[in-house]
Amino acid sequence: MKKFLINCILILLVFICYFLQSNLFSWFNIAGISPNLFVILIVFIGLFGNRYMGAIYGIVVGFFIDYIFRSKVGISAIALGIVGVSARIFDKNFSKDSRITIMMIVGILTAIFEIISYFIGAIIFSFDVQVWQFIKILLIEVVFNVLLVVILYPLMTKFGYYIENEYKGSRILTRYF
Amino acid sequence: MYRKNKVGVLGIVITIVILILVVVFSHGEKNTSFFEKFANKLVMPFQNGLTYLKNKVNGNDTFFSDINKLKVENEELKKQNSKLEQSLRELENIKTENETLKEYLELNKKYGEYKTVPAYIINKDISNYYKTIVINVGAKDGIKEKMTVIADKGLVGHVISVTDNTAKVQTIVDTSSAVSALMSTNKDSIVCKGVLGENKELKGMYIATDANVLQGDSVVTSGLGGIYPKGIHVGTVKSVSSPKNITDRYVSIETAVDFSKLDTVLVINNKE
Repeated sequence: MKKFLINCILILLVFICYFLQSNLFSWFNIAGISPNLFVILIVFIGLFGNRYMGAIYGIVVGFFIDYIFRSKVGISAIALGIVGVSARIFDKNFSKDSRITIMMIVGILTAIFEIISYFIGAIIFSFDVQVWQFIKILLIEVVFNVLLVVILYPLMTKFGYYIENEYKGSRILTRYF
Repeated sequence: MYRKNKVGVLGIVITIVILILVVVFSHGEKNTSFFEKFANKLVMPFQNGLTYLKNKVNGNDTFFSDINKLKVENEELKKQNSKLEQSLRELENIKTENETLKEYLELNKKYGEYKTVPAYIINKDISNYYKTIVINVGAKDGIKEKMTVIADKGLVGHVISVTDNTAKVQTIVDTSSAVSALMSTNKDSIVCKGVLGENKELKGMYIATDANVLQGDSVVTSGLGGIYPKGIHVGTVKSVSSPKNITDRYVSIETAVDFSKLDTVLVINNKE
């Protein structure tokens, strides 16, 4: 029952992210560049959820974005799926108790997500890769996402450890001892 | 523990303040007036008080002797002012109405030969790298893929997919978009491509080596490619690059449509 409730809240969070991204951050942006809340959400799920949650949510949310905005379905799904899997790998190797660690993980995975989706897009739609402009946008987006993590960190850890206890239970300790 | 929490909260507050400041300052001139207003509100009461004191010290006696006369005059002027303001508002309403009607008339004249379906933009791509929009008309309104989308000033893009009630439009400023176009003065053909991170600029490429490119020249669709009809205004040539190799030459085109302010469009129903 608790797991069902957690998943309902996570789905609700997906919609909240969608509405914030398409309404609030269309004007609350830095030089026209908005953050990517979906990457933060999938990293969060990947870090605190069970083995498959990050990847599954990543792929489903990616398909959701692709169906709404893109002409070719799958680019965001692949990229967010990879973000989910990578978050799981980071979870195995790093402690989540440090705010700096979470900030770095989100920064790195935001960059990975955008690089994957931009270059897959460049191959599929065969457009010219504009490296300098891409780096400029990417850097601002990464900084924006990292700043948001600083603000959201207490909420993330509070809800995150609740999810972790529910899904991983006593297995958490075996990793450290 | 308490100290750690306090530091954490302080960190969050500082980050929020920095984020808001970064967002505010990144929007340039729009917010200058906000700060101006704020500074004025802060300073003006003191300034008024100081001016009053200065006048009094300087022996400005007439202010006190004529005060009753001035009060009456002030009332009359206030009445006159409210009447003038009312007529100004009426005039402004008429002016706006007139401008809208003119725009529709021009639009009808311009694109009268096409059957169009009006639409509102209901969503814009959330990514910083793609520039697709979603409009509120779909298959039920007769919209099909590859239909051309225009606005009052010129070309917007084309429909890439359709649902019953909505349609996705790839705008011409999207990096994966390519529009075959002509420069109106000498009819030289170019291909206009979207520039990453730009909402009002296109890159005109594949210019013939003998082509004479003019700054300020109008760019219109060529009709080649099977998507866009011929003669729709795309934009104007803003600048011409002059690299060593003339085959690498390109032009910067300022789009006729301002995509950051776009909210209504027309879909050309040319498939009927």
